[in-house]
Amino acid sequence: MKKTLVAILGATILGAPMAMAADWPTRPLTMVIGFNPGGSTDIQGRVLANVMEEFLGQPVNVVNQPGGGSAVAFTRLKNTDADGYTFLFGGTTALTFTPIITPVEYEIDDFEYLASVALGQNAIVTSAEQPFSTFDEIIAHGKENPMTYAQQTPLDEAIIRAIAEEEGLDLAIVPTGGGGGMAPLVLGREVDFAYSGGTHAQYTPTGEMVVAAFMSSERSPFYPDVPTLIELGYDYSIEDYRTIIVPAGVPDDVKERLIAAAEFASTHQSFIDITEGNTFFPVVMIGQDEMEANVRRIRAATEEVMAD
Amino acid sequence: MDFSAVGAAAAEALTLASFIGIGGGVLLGYIVGVIPGLSRSVAISIAIPMTFYMSPFIAISFLIGLSKGTAAGSAVSAILLNAPGEASSAATALDGYPMAKKGKPKTALQIGLIASVLGDILATIILIFVAIPFARVALLFGPYEMAAILAFALVFIAGLSGGSIFKGLAAGGLGIFLGTIGLDNQTGLPRLTFGYTELMDGMPLIAVAIGTLALSEMFVQSEKLRYDRENMSVALKKDSSDRITWPIFRNILPTILRGTGVGTFVGALPGLGPSVGSFMSYGMAQKAAKDPETFGKGNPKGIAASESADNAVIPAALIPLFGLGIPGNVSAALLIGAFAIHGITVGPLLLRDNPELLYSIFAGMILASVIMLALGWFGLMFFAQITRVPPHVVIPIVIFFCLAGMMLQGYGTFGLIILMAFALLGYLMKKYDYSFVTFLVAFIITPMLELNLRQSIILSRGNVAILLDRPIALFFIACTALALITLIIRTFRTGKPAANAPAD
Repeated sequence: MKKTLVAILGATILGAPMAMAADWPTRPLTMVIGFNPGGSTDIQGRVLANVMEEFLGQPVNVVNQPGGGSAVAFTRLKNTDADGYTFLFGGTTALTFTPIITPVEYEIDDFEYLASVALGQNAIVTSAEQPFSTFDEIIAHGKENPMTYAQQTPLDEAIIRAIAEEEGLDLAIVPTGGGGGMAPLVLGREVDFAYSGGTHAQYTPTGEMVVAAFMSSERSPFYPDVPTLIELGYDYSIEDYRTIIVPAGVPDDVKERLIAAAEFASTHQSFIDITEGNTFFPVVMIGQDEMEANVRRIRAATEEVMAD
Repeated sequence: MDFSAVGAAAAEALTLASFIGIGGGVLLGYIVGVIPGLSRSVAISIAIPMTFYMSPFIAISFLIGLSKGTAAGSAVSAILLNAPGEASSAATALDGYPMAKKGKPKTALQIGLIASVLGDILATIILIFVAIPFARVALLFGPYEMAAILAFALVFIAGLSGGSIFKGLAAGGLGIFLGTIGLDNQTGLPRLTFGYTELMDGMPLIAVAIGTLALSEMFVQSEKLRYDRENMSVALKKDSSDRITWPIFRNILPTILRGTGVGTFVGALPGLGPSVGSFMSYGMAQKAAKDPETFGKGNPKGIAASESADNAVIPAALIPLFGLGIPGNVSAALLIGAFAIHGITVGPLLLRDNPELLYSIFAGMILASVIMLALGWFGLMFFAQITRVPPHVVIPIVIFFCLAGMMLQGYGTFGLIILMAFALLGYLMKKYDYSFVTFLVAFIITPMLELNLRQSIILSRGNVAILLDRPIALFFIACTALALITLIIRTFRTGKPAANAPAD
């Protein structure tokens, strides 16, 4: 009791930084995942939690808060204490894209973007049994025939719609409700081509699905021969950074500890194996300054695409 | 994709953790089955949140084990209390209770158990043999076919759920309406969320299911608290002559095989639940018997017919579920929700993409049957005692699990309020005889139906003639129209729908 009182007094008088320092954390942490268990974010997050636990010396408990493509999780995160004990791991689409089309209760400035440890894999895919396999062949085919495309988000739909207009394609776009719904449409050749957020990792090794182009800003190291849309002359990209995010106002040395844990994870073999081997997401380490800039840049670019 | 892979998966599936998970599911199901008034779908809806911390294989096997357990357990109360734990065991009580009254309660229970287990194992084997080849043709089922089959399932289930067609339409319409809440699946714009972030992914399934199925049922039960059980129940006594013998078994075996066939057929069709299966099987056994007048007076064949069909329905209902992702009844619809929670899309590609998972589940199902036999055989006395647990002990426990299950969902107070609202809705529906089965199935099917219908309309570019190239879709559209017309004609002719059996 006495000790606690002294500690509290000490913390108040000396200010948070001194009390926190290198012995943070002193109790278990919570990692929030804004999706259901079993998806790529969840798989990566759970491995990341284990590795961070190893570094921080306290358990990191994973809590799934699905809903609205992480919008629910971000709304809750905004209202938790900014002490670093609760953080979110996931993509930033709920910040760079969702607020443009839907009223939400949070904004980019409500959070801080500490570190990104994996890069997304947004691709345009088609069936190996189609008469076309590259993006140029799809466009050439589309100039002669009416075509169909399966979307997963309004953003990829907006990009493909813009390209179809530029190229003069007659394109019908259907919703799929996610990667699980996209695969049977592509493999059953109900649609000609489709967006894939990572589901293709499951079907390209078997030779059933072909990646025609990447929507990310850079080529994937796992498909080195497949160009990006930007390389093909279309100025669009969808970037997805799997990031550790905390509510704004977390003390600096706590943030440093979390960033150090992220850095540790990005070089940890089991995290690399699962992320690159199972989900085909390249492991990276992007620090806070760059991520803060990235989030705001992507938001501005997305607003531009969606305004068309 | 060969059948030996199931064997390999079985070896891998038999770990201590899966044994405990599946065994726990069967035991829990058995207990729930024994307690009158706690039904299978109630148990599944309450148990889904418990599976959050299990692997997908154990979670699904646990829930299927639970289903199987309820089907076997419900025979206990049917035989000893004349109060079936499930509607589907009502046919068991017809002969089981008289037989127990005649001083052969244990024999009756053992006949029920053996019929349950055999019906179960055989139907599971049929499921394995039907579902695996099905995966090869599954890609023939595109959006047109899926939309047509879903529409058919919806109309069929509504038609069989009893009540007037207008009340059925009202219940189904409300389910469809609630099913459209959430982000639009193409534009991402919120529909009917009224600014609640929690509703962006739609009305939470667990709240709707636990509310309308389980919690409302507890309200209904607490009204009937003065139920007098003591006078009716038959106690188990030590009596060495009261047991199943080889001649009895040989006598009922053909009945069990026929019951399994009936149950499997009924289960594989969407909308027809175990009650239809057990009564149909009972009727057929009576017709085939040389001594039909002894039915209803303690004929072992009556028990065997009812129980084997009751249990066979459960694995068979998974044929359309695993093959196409289409639920045949409420329990199967809840399983889709459970798969989704574990990140697995149930649909034509399930078996192709997750063969190990599905093979393990098959193996888990067989294991569940074996555990069921052991539990039922050696736990006879224990389960007989459970029939005596008074409802004022059961009801609060179930209510606790309902609320705890909702809290686990992470919706906080918002979730509890929604749960209570649906409990009230379910209670009123039950009181005023609106089919909550139709409501719930419509609610669960709607997002799938909407997506497939939307895909069909966009892909066909509004050209109806495309259906001429899709004979499977055309067939199911014709069936849907036929079912609708039949329903309407019957309602206007007699004022009552075709049948009156719940689809669960």
